[in-house]
Amino acid sequence: MYALQYMAAALYLATGVAAVLGLALPAPKVLHGARWGLLLGAAVQFAAFATLHRLDPAPSLTDLGYAVAVMSWLAVLFTLLLLARIRLPGFVTPVAFVAFLATFGATLHRPDVIAEQTGTTIPHAHVLLASAGLAALGVAGLAGFFFLIEHRSLKKRRSVARRVAMPSLEALDRVNRVALSMGFPLLSLGVITGALWLDARSGSLWSGSLHETWMLIAWLIYLGLVVLRFVGKQGARQAAASAVAGFSFLIFAVLGAGVVS
Amino acid sequence: MKIVLLGMNHRTAPVDVREHFASDEPGALLQKLVDRPEIVEATLLSTCNRVEVVVTTENPDGAKYALYEFFARDLANGEGPAAGALEELTYLRQGREAVEHVFRVASSIDSMVVGEPQILGQVKDAYREATEAGVAGAVLSRLFQRAFATAKRVKNETGIAQRPVSVARVAVDLAKQIFETLEDKSALLIGAGDMIEAALIALHDHGLGERKVANRTVANAEALAERFGGTAHGLDELDSLLSDSDIVLTCVGGDTPLLTRARIKRSLKGRRGRPLFLIDIGVPRNVDPAVHKLDSAYLYDLDDLQEVAAANEKERRRESERAERIVYEEREQFEGWMVALQAVPTIRNLRDRAESIRSGEIDRFAGRLRLEGGQNEILEQLTRSIVNKLMHSPIAQLRDETDREAGLIRLEEARRLFGLDATSDSDRDASRAPLDDSENELGEYADAEATENVAQASPRLEESND
Repeated sequence: MYALQYMAAALYLATGVAAVLGLALPAPKVLHGARWGLLLGAAVQFAAFATLHRLDPAPSLTDLGYAVAVMSWLAVLFTLLLLARIRLPGFVTPVAFVAFLATFGATLHRPDVIAEQTGTTIPHAHVLLASAGLAALGVAGLAGFFFLIEHRSLKKRRSVARRVAMPSLEALDRVNRVALSMGFPLLSLGVITGALWLDARSGSLWSGSLHETWMLIAWLIYLGLVVLRFVGKQGARQAAASAVAGFSFLIFAVLGAGVVS
Repeated sequence: MKIVLLGMNHRTAPVDVREHFASDEPGALLQKLVDRPEIVEATLLSTCNRVEVVVTTENPDGAKYALYEFFARDLANGEGPAAGALEELTYLRQGREAVEHVFRVASSIDSMVVGEPQILGQVKDAYREATEAGVAGAVLSRLFQRAFATAKRVKNETGIAQRPVSVARVAVDLAKQIFETLEDKSALLIGAGDMIEAALIALHDHGLGERKVANRTVANAEALAERFGGTAHGLDELDSLLSDSDIVLTCVGGDTPLLTRARIKRSLKGRRGRPLFLIDIGVPRNVDPAVHKLDSAYLYDLDDLQEVAAANEKERRRESERAERIVYEEREQFEGWMVALQAVPTIRNLRDRAESIRSGEIDRFAGRLRLEGGQNEILEQLTRSIVNKLMHSPIAQLRDETDREAGLIRLEEARRLFGLDATSDSDRDASRAPLDDSENELGEYADAEATENVAQASPRLEESND
């Protein structure tokens, strides 16, 4: 399991390095080929998850380290799907490095407490749905970040000085839109299954913990962003900035609040 | 065999001089040129910016004179400067300098706009015309094949052709940074002048979806729109046209901006955040510069585009330094091939001489030995084997030397050592002969391409051998 995780992390790192080289040389073919590295990394990581149960003691998927690994894996799959549909040269680069950090970070984390046995699939459903939502919204945040850089570069009128074209503003905005439209429902389901898990454990849908409070705020923020984006007339730049800010808050709600508490 | 090149380009002669030497049908002229005894093969490259003739010759001084005469009498038809005045307007390259020049021209390093793609096609046309006219033989075929390969390497291994350097292409490049594709985009072109047309061509080449041309004089807009499959409009329709357009390109006269901040802001309202790319190439400017401050509007004026174009050109020049290294490598390889080619007649003479000595000595002693039946054959095999083994090392050394200077010295030594100088005339004849693949004198240089070139593209060499 750990060997496969290390291998997946190494593949993501190699993909990121190759993509950077593809951008710097410039070598569009290397950049284009980097997506296969991403795919291979995802396949190896899937094999790692599939052999998870062989560990003694078998860690639960609800363990934070593995939840992050699952999130990065889903983000890679989501990116690969986007790459097949939208022209996104260079987008492999940050995704590969983020996937490397998340996967490698997960291998460093060793659960010392065996997860509770609830006898239901709700905890796993919660982790999978929330991770998928986080992955999609993470991709939206990354696209938003790229958009803001690109926008600034065009406004400063120095954009043509690059060697290889980065994704266009339109493509990044499309990624943002698609990721938000997929990520928000998944996050919502994650929040609902989280409440159901709590109910199964303590008989109450709400315990008032810091994590729950911040997650609820984050969900409300995303609700507002979705309304602004799809119902209101939010511009592409505002949407990009919102995606970056929204995801930063979400990450704090998931990881930071736990640390603070 | 020596390569000689005479040419004039945008740096050595003004256009009113160059135009006298331009030629549309080089075939007959080249035929005339190679009818001269000094010239073996020839090609003529004639473009807007350059006229160049490349020849192979055994007599470089004679060829030089013939080329000046060819320029003055045949190319200019006596209407341009006299042959005597041509020296200042032209450049003469010989040997490795000529090879390097051809490689640089094909790779677009020597072009007015470094990295421009048209020149390679023009060089290919020039070579094709020479081949069709039957005046390009083994050496020029090899030279141009290597020139094309060099150009390909330069294009693939450097960024010399990657950045646009014309205003219209820069605008298209910028549009591609904003939009994922131009195929579903709509462009509004305000004006109907040359700049608008150039931009329209560039956008059209990149698959722009919809084209709308608006102009004060609608008839001019109609003429332009008709050519590019667009629609023509008057300037009074601007507001409605703006809200449906993704790219706006303007170049019309007028002292006050045609597209004000308020006007663009109004048009942006209906776009739901979709970006609007405005290119203002009018002087005075047609778009209020404050438009650029609007969130979804990206405005570039002529100065911005020219600045980018200039920066790109500078970058191309920097890339051309890397290209020069490729040219140097390729030239060295070609030089090696030339040395190997020059070794062919000497190797042939050496073998002929060894064979004549061997067969002469056999004849001399055959009577005394009184050999019977198969013994004669054995003796033939024995002596052949001895000669082949003795000749193997010197021939291999002559064949494998790739350094030009060292190769020539070695050839000279071989001629002297084996007493081949007396046959130098036949050497020259042999050098014009097509290379015999079975002899394989060229060793590693006698690759399939060279053999094919020699076999197919050197009718003139064969003739001269006859």
